[in-house]
Amino acid sequence: MKDVNKTYPGAVPLHVLKGINLEIAKGELVSIMGASGSGKSTLLNILGILDNYDTGEYRLDGTLIKNLSENKAAEYRNKMIGFVFQSFNLINYKNAIENVSLPLFYQGVGRRKRNLLAMEQLEKLGLADRAHHLPGELSGGQKQRVAIARALITNPSIILADEPTGALDSKTSHEVMELFKELNRQDGITTIIVTHDPGVGNQTDRLIRISDGVIL
Amino acid sequence: MKLTIFNIENWKEIGATLARNKTRTFLTGFGIFWGTAMLAILLGGARGAKDMLMRNFDGFATNSAIILTSPTSLPYKGHQKGRYWNLDVTDMERIRDAFPSLKTVTEQYTSSGVSFRNGKYSYSGDVNGASPEYCDVMAPTIYSGRFINQADVSLERKVAVVGQKIVNELYPGDPSPLGKDILVNGISYSIIGIAGQTNEISLGSRIDESIILPSSTYRRAFRRGNTVDIIMMVAKDGVKISDIEPQIKRLLFVRHSISPNDLSACDIFDVSEQFEMVDNLFLGVSLLAFFIGFSTLLAGIIGIGNIMWVIVKERTQEIGIRRAIGAKPSDIIVQILSEGIMLTAVAGIAGICFATAVLGIAQYLTTNEISTPRFQMHTGQALIIMVTFIILGTLAGLIPATKAMKIKPVEALNDK
Repeated sequence: MKDVNKTYPGAVPLHVLKGINLEIAKGELVSIMGASGSGKSTLLNILGILDNYDTGEYRLDGTLIKNLSENKAAEYRNKMIGFVFQSFNLINYKNAIENVSLPLFYQGVGRRKRNLLAMEQLEKLGLADRAHHLPGELSGGQKQRVAIARALITNPSIILADEPTGALDSKTSHEVMELFKELNRQDGITTIIVTHDPGVGNQTDRLIRISDGVIL
Repeated sequence: MKLTIFNIENWKEIGATLARNKTRTFLTGFGIFWGTAMLAILLGGARGAKDMLMRNFDGFATNSAIILTSPTSLPYKGHQKGRYWNLDVTDMERIRDAFPSLKTVTEQYTSSGVSFRNGKYSYSGDVNGASPEYCDVMAPTIYSGRFINQADVSLERKVAVVGQKIVNELYPGDPSPLGKDILVNGISYSIIGIAGQTNEISLGSRIDESIILPSSTYRRAFRRGNTVDIIMMVAKDGVKISDIEPQIKRLLFVRHSISPNDLSACDIFDVSEQFEMVDNLFLGVSLLAFFIGFSTLLAGIIGIGNIMWVIVKERTQEIGIRRAIGAKPSDIIVQILSEGIMLTAVAGIAGICFATAVLGIAQYLTTNEISTPRFQMHTGQALIIMVTFIILGTLAGLIPATKAMKIKPVEALNDK
């Protein structure tokens, strides 16, 4: 990421990212920390191709991500990025296996193959017995693991996790963090975790602090 | 690009989404169901009602008129006003000769309160005298036997066409007493036909409750000389009787020394005018039914749009999630629209089925032994309603779907 700037227009334009320079190597497990309002969520949105930036350059796996059409952005998100959210963001009327397989649906993968891959992923995360439960019937930790399974199913270049432990108790938080570390260590998955919890940040290989729109 | 519409996976996804949100699906579906059913029932109902009313005209020549007389209202050529006058056979012949645009000119005689007897059974009703041409004006329903023919009239045969109801009263247990005798005012006639009428128009009493004799026989039996009670006319196609009405009156007034300015001495009752009135009335009713039905349909469609809007609002987060994990804007619009179309199609078909059942019951209840009013829709009509509804439903869903498509995943995910 080279000199990325982002301003939210408005009566008083808000310059949230002031020349961000950042390089994250393949296979790294990094965390981005900052107070609320520091611009870390905006940075995450740009990293996740959910939002555009004004100037600068962002390359993901060598591909320039800039001024993409909605369709192109959707395609890249689908193939290159796996999201994990604080509030899980599972679709509450779909069961675990359907939630996990949804990204494959948008790739046009057939139902049978989708369910097979989703089941494999759930097994890997120890959730095989919960495959047909609705999110409402799962505990917080289980929901987050379903969400991680959904993020992993497309073999993305990076996992972006936004406060993944924010809604979990300390024991479950620890388990989820262990899972991220294990996935990173065993499968070499590039993972970026946004958090304001130093306990989470300290468990990653690298800690990136952001304050007032610049990296410290 | 793959065609999402024909992708079975898409339809499975839509089916699953609809099935998992039962209340929402039901409520949306019910609006459409009701709209379709209302429109179909109103259209079918209006048609059925018209058929029921038209049944009243069944067998009656619509392009016909009847000449009736009243006492004069003006003194003329030495006659006092208030003079009674009668039409006669010569009038009939003159009209027939003078107006070739009339297909039929015939007469009818009526006597009321005549007693009919068969052995110990008796009945009292009207006796009419008529010619074969009577059928041109008002075709009676012949249950058995035949109507009066020309030979009956020329030979003054003592034969009678008897109303169904009289037959029931005088010949209990014998549904078809053809060839048997009936006493009318003490004179014996042979029964040649049993008749009734399906329409509700009657000159005097209904055919079911009266006896018709050949005109010549009647004249002799009731000593009528030359006079006739009413003259009935049927115009040729494309001729309006109201156009020649003044000339007919002039002819009659000159013959009977009635002031040409007398407005009430002669009444020409034009059935076509009545018929036209009913026709216009039902044009109005049909338009009204269509208007109400279409309004209901429109309200239903606005309802779909409204509910779809709420659905999109309610599902903003879900749409955000889908967008975040790789759904293209077109995937979202196709999903929302397809859900709408699928719902419209299923609920619409249910609505048509419901309407068909209701109209079927209405038809069953109004069917009598004579005729069946058509309440049921044509298949084509039902299809047109369906297709219109699906197209309009799609259009109504387009606005919320476009809105859904424009949802930015970031905003949607923050929408809690």
